[in-house]
Amino acid sequence: MSLQTIEAPLPGILYHKPSPDAEPFKTPGDAVAVGDTLALIEVMKSFMPVEAELAGTFKGYSAADGESIEPGAPVCEIEQA
Amino acid sequence: MSRSFTTDKPGLQTCVQELPGRIGFLEQGFPLSGPFDAWSFRQANILVGNDRDTAALECQFAGPTLTLETDALVAVTGADMRPKIDGEPVPMWTTLPIRAGQTLALGPAMRGARSYIAISGGIATDPVLGSRAVFHQAGVGGHALTAGQSVPLGTPTTDVTLSQVPEAARPVISSDKRWQVEALAGPNDDWLTPETVETFFSADWAIQAKSSRTGVRLTGPEFAFSARATDKNPDHGQDPSNIIDHGYPMGAVNLAGQTPIILVNDSPSTGGFINPFTVASAAFWKLAQARPGEVLNFRRIDRDEAGRLRAHLDAMTRPEVLERV
Repeated sequence: MSLQTIEAPLPGILYHKPSPDAEPFKTPGDAVAVGDTLALIEVMKSFMPVEAELAGTFKGYSAADGESIEPGAPVCEIEQA
Repeated sequence: MSRSFTTDKPGLQTCVQELPGRIGFLEQGFPLSGPFDAWSFRQANILVGNDRDTAALECQFAGPTLTLETDALVAVTGADMRPKIDGEPVPMWTTLPIRAGQTLALGPAMRGARSYIAISGGIATDPVLGSRAVFHQAGVGGHALTAGQSVPLGTPTTDVTLSQVPEAARPVISSDKRWQVEALAGPNDDWLTPETVETFFSADWAIQAKSSRTGVRLTGPEFAFSARATDKNPDHGQDPSNIIDHGYPMGAVNLAGQTPIILVNDSPSTGGFINPFTVASAAFWKLAQARPGEVLNFRRIDRDEAGRLRAHLDAMTRPEVLERV
C-alpha cells in the first residue's frame, strides 16, 4: 500500500464532475480501477479526462473543482492496492 | 528509408500548419487557418533550413511523441514543452540533428500554450484548396494527428548550418500571466459609449478555457452601448450588439451580447455581431501563447504602429537572425 499522487497532464481548468449538476467522479473511499476517469481538464473547448493508471482506493482531490491547474500539479491521491 | 515520421502519441490537437494559410475562400466560409503563433512557427522552419512558411506542426497545450523514419533536422520553438530525443532533454530554439528511428517527445506546456516542430524538408501532406494548413474542426486539409499516423516529409535543402535563435530575437512568453496586446479601435467602436471604449483599453480581460483557434473568449467588465446600437433600424436585430451581417476582420474583437470573442485563425468570416476593436496581426502570437485564466490588457495603437510591429515581426523571422552554434 502506498499513497500515489496523480498529476495534471496539461494546463487548464480542473473539474471533479462530468457536468455541473452531476456527482463527482470519485469520493474518498471509492475503489479506483485502471482506466477510470478521475477528473476532467478543460482547455480549447475540450474536456480531457484524467484517467487512473493504477488501481487502489481514492483518497481525495488535491485541487478544487473549477480551479486553474498547471501541468504536474497534484489532481488527487490514490492509495495503491 | 521513407521520408516520413510516425505519430506515437498525438498530443492535444497537434495539426499541420502552413503559411499564408488557405487564401481566397473566406466568402465560402473557409477560414485562413495557418499557425496561430507565426513568429515561433517561422523561426522553427528557418532553423532546419526550410523556407519560413513551410508546413510544420503546431502543438497545443500537450505535445506529441514522434518517431522519425529518416535522418533529419528538427527544431522546437514556442511554448516550453520540454522536448526530449530518445529520453534526453534537448534545447528549444536550436537546430537538432535526429537520426532515423529516434523519437522526439514533447510534454505539456510549462509556459505558453503552443509549440512548433519544424522538420527539414517540411511536411508533405496533400494541399487542400491550395494549402496544407489544417482546419481541424471541419476536417479541411486533414485533422489533428492520430496515434499510429504516418506523415510524409518533403525534400530537405542541403548544407544547413546548425544554429539557434538568440534570446533577443525570440517572442517573449509571459512569465507573470499577463499580456499586453496591441489593438486598434474600430470598425464598430462607435456602437459603444466613449467610456466603454476607454474601459476596454484599461480593464483586465481574463481568458476563458473555452478559447481555441476559432476564438479567444474573454471575461471582463460590462459593455455600454451608444445610440447607434440602441436606436437602430430593426433590420440589424434585437440585441444592441447585433448588426446586419457583415464581414469580420481577422483579429476582430467580436461582441456577442456581453462576451467579447477575439476572432483568430480558424474563425468565421461573416456574421451579425459588431466588432468594436481589432487586434493587430503582429500581436496574434500573444493570443496563441496565453493560457486560460491569464489576463490580457489591450494597448491602443494606430495603423502606422500596427504596420511597424508587423515589420518587426517580419525582420525577426528571417534567416539573418540566426546565430551559429
